[in-house]
Amino acid sequence: MNQETTEESNEESYILVWLTGIVFLVAMAAIFLYVPTEQTEGPVQRIMYIHIPSAWLSFFAFFIVFICSILFLWKKEREWDIYAYASAEIGVIFCSLVLITGPIWAKPIWGTWWVWDARLTSTLILWLIYVAYLMLRAQTDAGSMRARYAAVLGIVGFLNIPFIHFSVLWWRTFHPQPKVISSEGFGKGMETSMLITLGISLCAFTLLYFLLMGQRVRQEKLKDEIDSLKREQLYSS
Amino acid sequence: MDNFGFLFAANAFVWGGIIYYVYTLKQRSRELEKDLELLKETLSRESR
Amino acid sequence: MNLYLNQIAAIVWKDFVTELKTRELLSAMFIFALLVILIFIFSINLSIVKASEVGPGILWVAFLFAGTIGLNRSFMLEKENGCLMGLMLVPADRTTIYFGKLISNLIFLSIMELFILPLFMIFFNIDLLSHLGPLLVVVFLGTLGFCALGTLLSSLSANLKTREIMLPILLYPLLIPIIIGAVRMTGQVLDGTELADMMKWIGLTASFDIIYIGVSIMTIDHILEE
Repeated sequence: MNQETTEESNEESYILVWLTGIVFLVAMAAIFLYVPTEQTEGPVQRIMYIHIPSAWLSFFAFFIVFICSILFLWKKEREWDIYAYASAEIGVIFCSLVLITGPIWAKPIWGTWWVWDARLTSTLILWLIYVAYLMLRAQTDAGSMRARYAAVLGIVGFLNIPFIHFSVLWWRTFHPQPKVISSEGFGKGMETSMLITLGISLCAFTLLYFLLMGQRVRQEKLKDEIDSLKREQLYSS
Repeated sequence: MDNFGFLFAANAFVWGGIIYYVYTLKQRSRELEKDLELLKETLSRESR
Repeated sequence: MNLYLNQIAAIVWKDFVTELKTRELLSAMFIFALLVILIFIFSINLSIVKASEVGPGILWVAFLFAGTIGLNRSFMLEKENGCLMGLMLVPADRTTIYFGKLISNLIFLSIMELFILPLFMIFFNIDLLSHLGPLLVVVFLGTLGFCALGTLLSSLSANLKTREIMLPILLYPLLIPIIIGAVRMTGQVLDGTELADMMKWIGLTASFDIIYIGVSIMTIDHILEE
């Protein structure tokens, strides 16, 4: 029975791997071959097609952390704790990628690596919150305490997002607006070909999220199994 | 208009990052599976 | 309801008596806040920068750092002597522990702030007395937000091995909205703006306070559980 289910999930994960790979290839082709080069920004504008999907992936991952944290505190099942942990780790990694690609995109366009623009600042704060979340998990021993504490932090951290958004937004309006080619109203100034490319790329990154989640969750479960076996061995000897 | 370098750098970071993460995931999974096999073996030997 | 309030009052009273006996916390917080202000005064050139522009930021950094000392102590003291176990064994709602600690943290911090504000006025040559009322409202809103979230997270970090390090790491990113709000509001108050003209900041800080007290009530049971 157990064997069968693992085989089945293996098959599913293979399908997911292939699907993700294919969609990524299509996305690559769209980004580098299909979509026309932007007139004002030049080739560097193509960073957008990996920058925005990474940001989307990390925010989505943090949202999942929030949902799973609530479910954990409600149901107290180890499963939800694993999901929250895996999702937080993936979210932090892609948030870091956003924070790296952002300045690389900003340098040739805005002239500086970093601007204290509302969106950049909020992303940085978000990154700090979830790095603290992972540190909290690393500091405590496995067990119910770690799961409960992490879940509380997952909830508190996500509820902070609207406050961060508004405070950072209003904080900036008191200063002269930075010389930013503002990205107000995404999608409005974009051509259809750009929107299509962005859409494909978003799909690819979302699939990647589920793929990574599957792997990470499986790993945590393996770790649990090893721990329980070790305990069994300890008691039997 | 000469900003291919930046495009290249950004892509290198993203793909490098993702591939490195997937690689470490695989590595860890393999180690865990090996551990599990070992444990199961010793357990079955002991119970015999 | 009366019993509930009595239980909270008992916890606050206990903290007060301890503090009156040892006199460790308030003096440490006060001196630390003073040192932070002094270090800032040395590190910026007040003849170039306008004092009323950097003043509020420095004031709140001092409150924040000194407040962290207070938070770190409030649950650690209980933890070290095993008192937290005793508190949890009391047949009372766990939220009383939270509210008791919240109120005692709030009172200690407010006393420290009341001592720091006159010194701030002298050092930075800013006239606080002419807008004392709005200033106290703003300081209270900011301090309440700090204590609401800080008490929750210090109850959590008290059980960690590296509690002194982890508390600021967990707390500061989450406090950024309240710091921005408090600094902005203090700056505006010192510029003579009426409270009614900064309703959006007051709304933000007040809703931060309310939401985090609410979240703490809902989650404190899961933290104080052995």
